[in-house]
Amino acid sequence: MADVRDILDIEPPTTVELTKESILGNDKKNRKKYEYKVPKRPEGMHREVFALLCKDNNDVPPLFPTDTGKGYKQARAKLGMRKVRPWKWTPFTNPARTDGAVFHHWRRVADAGKEYPFAKFNKKVPIPTYTNAEYVQHLVTNGWTRSETDHLFDLCKRFDLRFIIIKDRWDRTKFSDRSVEDLKERYYQVCAALTKAKSNVDKVFVFDAEHEKRRKEQLKKLFERTPDQVDEEQTLLSELRKIEQRKKERDRKTQDLQKLITAADNQADPRKSERKPKKSSNSSRNRPNKADSSYFYRSATKTIHFQALESAGIKFPDFKNSGVSLRSQRIKLPSSLGQKKMKGIEQMLIELHLVVCVTDLNPPPTEQICQQFNDLRSDIVLHYELRGALATCDYELQSLRHQYEALAPGKTLTIPPILLPKTETEIKADIIDVVGSPSMSIIH
Amino acid sequence: MATTTEFGPDSGGRVKGVTIVKPIIYGNMARYFGKKREEDGHTHQWTVYVKPYHNEDMSTYVKKVHFKLHESYNNPNRIVTKPPYELTETGWGEFEIVIKIYFHDPNERPVTIYHILKLFQSTPEIQLGKKSLVSEFYEEIVFQDPTAFMQHLLSSTRPITLGAWRHDTDFEAKKESSLKSIVEARNRIRTEVIDLKEKLTLAKETIAKFKEEIAKISKVGGSMSVT
Repeated sequence: MADVRDILDIEPPTTVELTKESILGNDKKNRKKYEYKVPKRPEGMHREVFALLCKDNNDVPPLFPTDTGKGYKQARAKLGMRKVRPWKWTPFTNPARTDGAVFHHWRRVADAGKEYPFAKFNKKVPIPTYTNAEYVQHLVTNGWTRSETDHLFDLCKRFDLRFIIIKDRWDRTKFSDRSVEDLKERYYQVCAALTKAKSNVDKVFVFDAEHEKRRKEQLKKLFERTPDQVDEEQTLLSELRKIEQRKKERDRKTQDLQKLITAADNQADPRKSERKPKKSSNSSRNRPNKADSSYFYRSATKTIHFQALESAGIKFPDFKNSGVSLRSQRIKLPSSLGQKKMKGIEQMLIELHLVVCVTDLNPPPTEQICQQFNDLRSDIVLHYELRGALATCDYELQSLRHQYEALAPGKTLTIPPILLPKTETEIKADIIDVVGSPSMSIIH
Repeated sequence: MATTTEFGPDSGGRVKGVTIVKPIIYGNMARYFGKKREEDGHTHQWTVYVKPYHNEDMSTYVKKVHFKLHESYNNPNRIVTKPPYELTETGWGEFEIVIKIYFHDPNERPVTIYHILKLFQSTPEIQLGKKSLVSEFYEEIVFQDPTAFMQHLLSSTRPITLGAWRHDTDFEAKKESSLKSIVEARNRIRTEVIDLKEKLTLAKETIAKFKEEIAKISKVGGSMSVT
């Protein structure tokens, strides 16, 4: 209870019994002591914002001038600064009209007497005119009479060179029907002739009617395609894309071909010679029943190996890091090889009857075996890739032959029999048959 | 190199350029009871083991061998600190045992071997329980740049027995036959690769020739259509 009294600044109760009323009563008295003037919170103002302006600890208001006082007022428009300009109901004529009709509208008194403001939008296209002499001198052509030309220019003036309308209004009773292109061609031809005659300027507009006709024809064709035709076009386009893609793929493969051939060369020759000295040193090291099994040797010979391996087939991770490892880790195929090639290797190992490697998964991992086994699988990958490349070549040869046969009917090209897949013996037979015919040209 | 700095110089540092190889044999033996045991349904007794390939005491450098069995076994993590590093149990099923070999020098990380426990084989004698089945493999632990301490341990091994140290499987024969078959296979692949290469070269040339012919003929065809 003492705490509460301290907090509330209550005199220790000497005689007064401590009741709820007495505490509340004292409280009221105390509150009067702390009373200060709190401006009333304007309605609609947030409590937090108000607390920023007037804290309840009776702080002095900020000395800095602020513009918060104007904050709740909108800047008012300044009105009534100028004199009112009077308006007047006035009659006007539109110069675009030929009938001189008079209309009325509201207008500022100050603007009285000025031209109708929208008159300037009444643009007239300048259409050249020609005299009789000029016509006879410059404008006579086949297919157009004087009266027909006159009619054209009249319509041009009337419809401001809107040729579609001109064609529509063409007097078909007097003259033969003309296409829009014909009309345009004649108009621009006349214009060009007149400009040249009058000003000796070579720069004139030329209207290519043929081109226009073709353009419109094409557009018309495009517009009049049936849904079936549209579909067909789509399928043809996608087919074309596929063909191009396949061609690209084949080109890429052909490029890889040379690389493969070089790899095969490397694999066949220099590595063989490189391995020889190693083999002999190894066998001495791996002599059976050797009492002391701790072999010391330099790792220098190893680096040559790994470099050689990189050039073909598989790149096995190299184990040059310090520490303990299991030899069998070295014959693990790197996961970067891909499922397809791994399957290919497995298949090939089975084909080669390497039962040890297939059934026990791995041969006993001595250093020499690891090396040989890795090299073997590297070679298998190379083999696999070469086979793939050869298949691509076969395909290309076939398609080239077809192309040739299509270009020169009755003739053919002979694919060297060694390159033909063994299963396609009938193709071989065909060639032999064709070779027999006298009109053949054989290319080897 | 990283480990050297990691553990400080008191580990003795690594001896660069030195490689020590310790061949080992790991695997399991298994024997059929001849019937299914009533109380737990077990059918086989088996022993999984790691032993040196040569006649030498592995305990000089191996601290302990940890066999991790299938989780259905009571405390599947079994640790053997002294040779022979082996563990005998009974069971009814095959599973993968994880064998972890720890070395005396803590700077050399333990190596892990995965062995599939083999119980069943189709040979009739084994099936009847007369002969026990052995499924064991050859492996080599390679110590690349060992610590000086480890190098000392590795090179001071003593023979386990004065008698002959033998294994059930003749690994020398196996090594030899594997190597032979691998080398043979390599030679075969190599000749095939050479063959393929020749074919490929020929194919390439033929393609070029065909293309030439086609170019020729289409040129002729073009001039013909003009005339």
